[in-house]
Amino acid sequence: MTIGFERRDVRATIWILTALSLLIVYLPPLYLVGISFNPSLQPGMPSLGDISLKWYGALVNERGLLAALKESLLIATVTMVVSTLLAIFAALAYLELGRLKNGWFLFVVFPMFVPGIIQGLALSVILNRWQVVPFWGTVVMGHILWSLPFAFTVILTSMATVKRSYVLAAADLGANWWQRTTQIVLPLITPGLVGGAIFSFLLSLNEFARSSYLVGRQNTLPLLMFGKMNSGATPTIYALSGVILLVSILAVAAVMYLIARRRRALAERSVEKA
Amino acid sequence: MFLLRRGLALAGPSFLLIAALGFVPLGVILVWSFWSWDPASYWIKPDLSLAAYAAIGEAGRWSVLVSSFAKAFLAAVLCLVIAYPAALAIHFVARPKWALVLMAAFTVPFFTSYLIRAFSWRLVLGRTGLFNTWLMALGITDEPLDWLLFSDFALMVGLVASYLPFAVFPLLLSLRRVEPNLLAASQDLGAGFVRTLFTVIIPLTKPGIFAGFLFVFVMAAGSSTEVQMLGGAGASMISIMIADVMRVVNFPLAFAISAIVLVVLFLLVLVGNAIFGFTRLFEDFK
Repeated sequence: MTIGFERRDVRATIWILTALSLLIVYLPPLYLVGISFNPSLQPGMPSLGDISLKWYGALVNERGLLAALKESLLIATVTMVVSTLLAIFAALAYLELGRLKNGWFLFVVFPMFVPGIIQGLALSVILNRWQVVPFWGTVVMGHILWSLPFAFTVILTSMATVKRSYVLAAADLGANWWQRTTQIVLPLITPGLVGGAIFSFLLSLNEFARSSYLVGRQNTLPLLMFGKMNSGATPTIYALSGVILLVSILAVAAVMYLIARRRRALAERSVEKA
Repeated sequence: MFLLRRGLALAGPSFLLIAALGFVPLGVILVWSFWSWDPASYWIKPDLSLAAYAAIGEAGRWSVLVSSFAKAFLAAVLCLVIAYPAALAIHFVARPKWALVLMAAFTVPFFTSYLIRAFSWRLVLGRTGLFNTWLMALGITDEPLDWLLFSDFALMVGLVASYLPFAVFPLLLSLRRVEPNLLAASQDLGAGFVRTLFTVIIPLTKPGIFAGFLFVFVMAAGSSTEVQMLGGAGASMISIMIADVMRVVNFPLAFAISAIVLVVLFLLVLVGNAIFGFTRLFEDFK
């Protein structure tokens, strides 16, 4: 590209502004992770000699936290399985829907736009009228609405690597729809499927607004953490936040790596053939 | 070979689930917002009434709605301004490897806890937090600044930090659709970088700009964690107002507020899509 992006001043300006935007996103969480290694009760960055896993060790003794974690892991796992399966069908449907495509896209993505508190309230009122007692399953219902649009978009994006000609060629060779889907489309988009699943899991694990109306007797982890954060946060909260942040970052990084590797492999293969 | 009937069958399960759990409950509370509150049963009865909508005009509720939308608007504009250079960096400036790293860096926040990220701003903006420590160490102020935390300022910072990635990706998608020939033509005709940016690139990325605006606006208008973690004591937002109304189990009023918010957001999505066609951003999948 030669419209000025090679100019040194332009590049420097863009890089500085980009670095600032990353700082806004990453400075506070990283500071929190730093604090979590400080053994003192006062929040602050630990000096190098003081780094300690004291608060991480203390997590094991927090029964309330562990119960909430267990509940959240159950909810996140069920949400992940259901959202991913539905998203695969919804994305395969997108390929076949022709002129209805755009409407279908908006329909599936719409729940993402609904404020969590309103969606949670609406669903809980209806469930209440139907005499459904809130339990982990009702939270899952709310979470699917939140994670399905993301899983759908991720899987749809990875379908961009599936050229229409691949599918047409398979059809010419006599493959029926089931064979085309299971032998051509799905293997090509496995990174997207893994991404959709992991992202659904993380979205559910961290969801807050919808859960607050749909939760049963056992709190989910974010709800419990919210309470603790507002009643004089103890350093164990920093440690727990640190664990969740690190796990999330690693999981997303792994997905991005998988997707990039697959893209590169496909690109190299098509170069070889040409 | 591409069959509409098969498409509909595949769409079936998601359609039923989204309709049953998402659209139907929202539609029902929309209807119920026109019913009346029944003190005898602590529930509502099917007497058509606009009482709930009249009550929105009371107790400063209208101004909470307006100011929530205003704050969401400002957050969306700030996010676009901050995200644009990052999108340019990913698409035009960075080498492929770095572009990937940047994209990953902006993907991570989608899926990390909004609660923890909002909470972490407390540690940065608080009286003994990072910023006040720096400001005092640099001698810019003697006393810690109180307005940094639990204020509209903190709320805005929190909203921008939370929802910035929602602006980056639509911008990036629309930048990818900009025809390189047009940029070359612009340069051949003598336009410099700044002129090309403002008269060619930015106008061509309008669908991405609108989609980014819409995502951030909607997320910010409905946000609850950022407000509860960072907002001032007096300041309210839509989500807090609904929670407060629900605490006194005034169902019709909570439904009426929700209905107004939903209608505004729904119209934004539809009108915006009609004008800017942001579903076209996703049309490469063939």
